[in-house]
Amino acid sequence: MKAAAVKGLKPGDPLADSLQRIVAVRLDEVCAFMPTAQDPGRVTELHDMRIAAKRLRYVLEICVDLFGPYAREAVTRTKALQDVLGEIHDCDVTLPQVAALAAEARAQDVEAVLEAAGGADDLAPEVLPAAPHAPAHRGLATMAVYLQARRELLFARFQALWLDLEREGFRARLQFAIGERPSRSHDDDMDAGAGVEPSADA
Amino acid sequence: MAKARAIESLHEELPFATGAALTVRTRTDELFAHAAGVLDTDDIERVHDMRVATRRLRAVLEVYADCFPKDEHKAVLKTVKTLADALGARRDPDVQLEDLQAFAKDLDDADRAGVELFAARVRAEQREGNAILAEALEAVERADLRGHLDALADAAEAAEAAA
Repeated sequence: MKAAAVKGLKPGDPLADSLQRIVAVRLDEVCAFMPTAQDPGRVTELHDMRIAAKRLRYVLEICVDLFGPYAREAVTRTKALQDVLGEIHDCDVTLPQVAALAAEARAQDVEAVLEAAGGADDLAPEVLPAAPHAPAHRGLATMAVYLQARRELLFARFQALWLDLEREGFRARLQFAIGERPSRSHDDDMDAGAGVEPSADA
Repeated sequence: MAKARAIESLHEELPFATGAALTVRTRTDELFAHAAGVLDTDDIERVHDMRVATRRLRAVLEVYADCFPKDEHKAVLKTVKTLADALGARRDPDVQLEDLQAFAKDLDDADRAGVELFAARVRAEQREGNAILAEALEAVERADLRGHLDALADAAEAAEAAA
């Protein structure tokens, strides 16, 4: 997923104002995946949301000290989001690999068993020990069950985390924090229209 | 995972390009500080740390893109991306093997053969990934990535001075 361009940034512009614009765009990119990513089947969107979270986190890491205190908290929250989406992605990658290996092992076993049967009219169960991967089938099936079940648990964790972020007003609080300039006086902030931090349910 | 280094002397009123130079220098140092021993498959955290450092550097190069000369920026970004991909080719099987180890710890004996069959395949991918990484590290050396990153930081400072 390509990051959205932030147009009009100029080398001579004040650093915090430029980074504020970039963070705002990266934050919008993360939030834009919801509610689509609430569907556990949206594998691509969940992966792209993870990339978007990663981009937001890495830009925030550069500049937390330039913004209000919630920016630092937002790094931790974004990392938690990135981590759970990463673990979901790992399951989404490994599960088809396990399924493919199981199918491959089964196909090789069928071939070996047929070869052991020679030109027989029917297949006698006695030839089954000729299957080289026979002992492996159960473990592969167990792995697939484990990965699928874990993926469901992780997805529930992701949903709960997103709900927490919404409840604590993650988006609004970060938008507010990147407009704050801690080194300026309170009066300056008020002049600049920074105002009062939004409440948690914003 | 290594924590991101703070960017010293960063201040809100600094010009954007000065921030770019300071940040690229810090993230470049971070990247090369994590380069030692990454081909050692017994210590997988080294690859992880270098991969994260590469991602952080890449993010910085994208964030400050407007402060760098276009062609040089594009070439450096391509080299960093190639390195990141190579680190991923090693890291992905590293993680899978670590997960498999944890998964197999309390497993029924009857399940072990299947897990081992999968693990053997992942170990082959890890060896392949390590070869890709070794090649990418040599390419980074040949391309003098560090020198080009320093040049980008210098160019950002010059752009600010000219602005």
